[in-house]
Amino acid sequence: MKLKSFDVIVIGAGVAGAAVAREMTKYALSVAVLEKNAEVACEVTKGTHAIVHAGLSVNPLTPLKNRGELMGAAMMGQLCADLDVKYQRIGKLLVAFDETQVAQLKALMQSAKRLGLMDIELIEDRSRLLEMEPNLNPDVIAALHTPNTGIVSPWGLVYGLLENAQDNGASVFVECAVTGIRWDAEAQRFLLDTRQGPFSAKYVVNAAGPFSDKVAAMVGDTSFQISLTRQEKVIFDKNYQGAVRHVVRMLNNMGAPGDFICPTVYGDLMAGVEVKPTDDFDACHTTQPGIEEHVLRSSARLIPTIPASAVIRPFSGVLNQCAGTGEFVIRSAPQLPRFLNFVLGGSGLTACYAMAQYLSLEVFPTVADAADLKTRGDFNPCRKDMPHVHDLEPEELAELIARDPRYGHVICRCETVTEGEIVEAIRRGARSVDGVKFRTRAGMGRCQGGFCGPRVIAILSRELQIPPEAVTKKGPGSYMVTALRDDHSVKGEAEHV
Amino acid sequence: MSKIITHETDLAIIGGGPAGLGAAIRAKASGVKNVLLIERSEELGGVLPQCIHNGFGLHYFKESLTGPAYTYKMLQDAQRAGVDFMTKTMAIRVDGENRITALNRDRLLEIRPKATILCMGCRERSFGALRIPGTRPAGIYTAGTAQRLINIEGKMPGKRVVILGSGDIGMIMARRLTLEGAKVLAVVEIMPFIGGLIRNEVQCLRDFHIPVYVSHTIKEVRGTDRIEKIVVTRVDQNRQYIPGTEIEFDADTLLISAGLIPENELSRMAGISMNAITGGPVVDNLWQTSTPGFFAGGNVVHVHDLADYASESAGMAAANAARYIDGDRSQDLDIEVAAGANIRYVVPNRISKLQETVSFYMRVTWPLADATVRIGDIYEKHFQFARPSEQIRIDLPTKELAHVHGQLIVSCEGERAV
Ligand SMILES: Cc1cc2nc3c(=O)[nH]c(=O)nc-3n(C[C@H](O)[C@H](O)[C@H](O)COP(=O)(O)OP(=O)(O)OC[C@H]3O[C@@H](n4cnc5c(N)ncnc54)[C@H](O)[C@@H]3O)c2cc1C
Ligand SMILES: Cc1cc2nc3c(=O)[nH]c(=O)nc-3n(C[C@H](O)[C@H](O)[C@H](O)COP(=O)(O)OP(=O)(O)OC[C@H]3O[C@@H](n4cnc5c(N)ncnc54)[C@H](O)[C@@H]3O)c2cc1C
Repeated sequence: MKLKSFDVIVIGAGVAGAAVAREMTKYALSVAVLEKNAEVACEVTKGTHAIVHAGLSVNPLTPLKNRGELMGAAMMGQLCADLDVKYQRIGKLLVAFDETQVAQLKALMQSAKRLGLMDIELIEDRSRLLEMEPNLNPDVIAALHTPNTGIVSPWGLVYGLLENAQDNGASVFVECAVTGIRWDAEAQRFLLDTRQGPFSAKYVVNAAGPFSDKVAAMVGDTSFQISLTRQEKVIFDKNYQGAVRHVVRMLNNMGAPGDFICPTVYGDLMAGVEVKPTDDFDACHTTQPGIEEHVLRSSARLIPTIPASAVIRPFSGVLNQCAGTGEFVIRSAPQLPRFLNFVLGGSGLTACYAMAQYLSLEVFPTVADAADLKTRGDFNPCRKDMPHVHDLEPEELAELIARDPRYGHVICRCETVTEGEIVEAIRRGARSVDGVKFRTRAGMGRCQGGFCGPRVIAILSRELQIPPEAVTKKGPGSYMVTALRDDHSVKGEAEHV
Repeated sequence: MSKIITHETDLAIIGGGPAGLGAAIRAKASGVKNVLLIERSEELGGVLPQCIHNGFGLHYFKESLTGPAYTYKMLQDAQRAGVDFMTKTMAIRVDGENRITALNRDRLLEIRPKATILCMGCRERSFGALRIPGTRPAGIYTAGTAQRLINIEGKMPGKRVVILGSGDIGMIMARRLTLEGAKVLAVVEIMPFIGGLIRNEVQCLRDFHIPVYVSHTIKEVRGTDRIEKIVVTRVDQNRQYIPGTEIEFDADTLLISAGLIPENELSRMAGISMNAITGGPVVDNLWQTSTPGFFAGGNVVHVHDLADYASESAGMAAANAARYIDGDRSQDLDIEVAAGANIRYVVPNRISKLQETVSFYMRVTWPLADATVRIGDIYEKHFQFARPSEQIRIDLPTKELAHVHGQLIVSCEGERAV
């Protein structure tokens, strides 16, 4: 296969890789993102709590992470406005049930203020707490309020960052796992072996998340190791929209922020979290004790009015952190200054943009040729999301249907997603049922794809011009349907959806 | 100029399944001039077009029909009666003033009827709502989705199948999958008894030698991309796993047949009071909801065993909606109907007007032998068996009700049969 050459290659299309790719397009450089999966944003980033932390990270051993949180939270609103990504600044209540916990909250507040988080308040007036959060457990006696805490769509952010990077000239390759990297000292370039043939680049950014230690090891960098935790959570039905207004969180037995319940930007609620160490990244499962005895008990302790029967889905995410302190690793590989590790961890979603700028503006200039630091004059920071019928005002919707009738054909009835949106999602890169689901929400609602599932398969089959048997949930191996026995075959619906 | 089209009509019916069609036909027969039926799918009939087995129509048409044939017959009646249809049109919003926002490929509509009958049917309980531990790979479907895949799309959901829940759709699909060459490894039911009709247990499971595991549930789903294994375990009376009883199945597919949930998002938007047990609107014996001008019928109110009964109950709603549209809003009674011992729910929840008969629909909480159903102290009926899977219907002549005040408790007494 022909060698594809770029100035900068970013490995990994999670929120870290997406943020870096966009920052790097601000330079006059050619940029490519290589992602091993069929869909972007499908590893760690898919499983996050989606909270934009305000900056309560106060560990002196993690200065980059502390800075990433504080600055990231401050920058997220503008970024999401530019990229047309769902974000709400709803604030957090970190609650105390007894005096010991109140003392812990006070200590947290002192340290956070010392690190620069001024917008923080300890509320001990219970009637005020109940006014702010009417369904809060009345046993709560105080709460630390950080108004700057927000919620965001994590995959929405990745789509926004990548589409904007593409608008500014970047290329994205999926199903393109990097399997080996060599430094050609003579040519002063990296050679990358991938599932789609060889690539070459002058600079490589390793944003492979949970696999970043393995990618670093490809160039002999063993300076950090990744450790993983599996985190179990649940999503509650939208009927409870409005029942929780803030991120409501309790302290764990070490006096640090622990279990929580919060709204998502899509109007449902999320609660967690059972945390267990794991060494298997694919261990994305839930357990009975984790969900029933831990997550649902904690959520009922915070907000007693939401019953377990309102759960529409339990799920888990696997978080990568650098073993040891959990500090971010944003630095060159030893002896290979142009191989840049960009490894986040807890709070990585919050910090991705601030840290991508740290990499592009503070680290990259120390390793790059001066000629490569020229910025482009025509960088466009804005991107427009695809239409979401669910969010439109009636007049806007009528207008849209008049332009494209497919926006009047509802496919997912729980989330009101139309054929027009699904076709547009595929045009923007969705290749699988999950790709459509995360981009449009088709199948994410209370019936979990029971109704729209077969219809989404049919549309993917039609638009991608592949047989329904080749449509997958999330890439190779995850096929959705198989053929009927030959003698039983009836005409499919694909032609007339 | 606004692109939103306003459409006025006498009666709007939301949903074109057996209930919606039954309502439309009866509304016309009761003299309503303009009847508009809105259906989001391309075809009418609700879930029936995918139910290619027979057994429909025994009550309504006095013959055994397949789902598509039942639909066809109703559709002919409705067309002859002059019902206006709008298919591929989804009602997305309803307010308490009887204004319906609906959407189709041509336009966004605001429909303004004098009365509305809600006939949105139900959806299946999803895998997620069951909170089953394990992974969530490809290969997990509800039984109804699998039915659509095979019977409409001509595709198989998979080849080695475990079915969780022994509802009717699950049992019918066990047979269907077997006929199509798949291997049904197990039907797993957490209760100590089968959830669906005995007829289906015999004709769909026993006749095909499909293994049934009652008092069992799924403990874990394994697989990253596609399902690889399903671990089943026995449970005790409190539904707790019994350690050491695990059975592993090498399955690639899991079907869920664990109950139906009435589809009432629109009803909630109209401010209609809901019944926590049925999941449907609280209705009186006129099938009237708590919001004036809104009636409901079929599975949207409570899950019926048979499509015939859905058509029939929605027909009653339509006859009363016709009176309402004519301006007859009289109510002469106010009796609350409540579920008593061994009764999970009873519909209607209120009796507000004396009509010739009042039909009570109910389900028991547990299989009972030698069962006696009592309606207050005015009526009782004996059954050899009463099972949760079989809805009980009792038609009570209203003269019996003349002396009842306040509350009427419906209860059942019998011996626990399991
Ligand atoms: C349960 C949970 C809760 C969290 N909650 C929050 C929160 O509330 N707030 C917050 O700020 N942060 C939170 N985080 C942290 C945050 O989500 C992560 O830090 C962030 O998403 C990590 O993004 P990433 O791009 O580094 O990793 P990923 O999203 O995993 O992206 C890495 C990508 O690299 C690809 N890749 C790997 N190897 C290769 C290869 N060889 N070739 C090509 N591609 C490769 C992967 O397929 C993947 O797509 C949470 C994380 C978890 C798991
Ligand atoms: C998968 C499945 C299989 C079944 N198999 C059998 C069987 O074998 N035998 C049997 O007797 N019963 C069966 N039943 C039960 C049977 O469906 C009911 O008895 C009967 O269909 C209920 O009729 P309905 O009209 O109330 O609901 P449905 O048949 O569900 O019809 C509701 C209709 O409303 C439409 N609708 C809903 N919301 C909107 C909206 N917002 N805008 C526009 N349209 C809307 C839907 O598209 C649907 O067409 C089955 C049910 C299911 C779910």
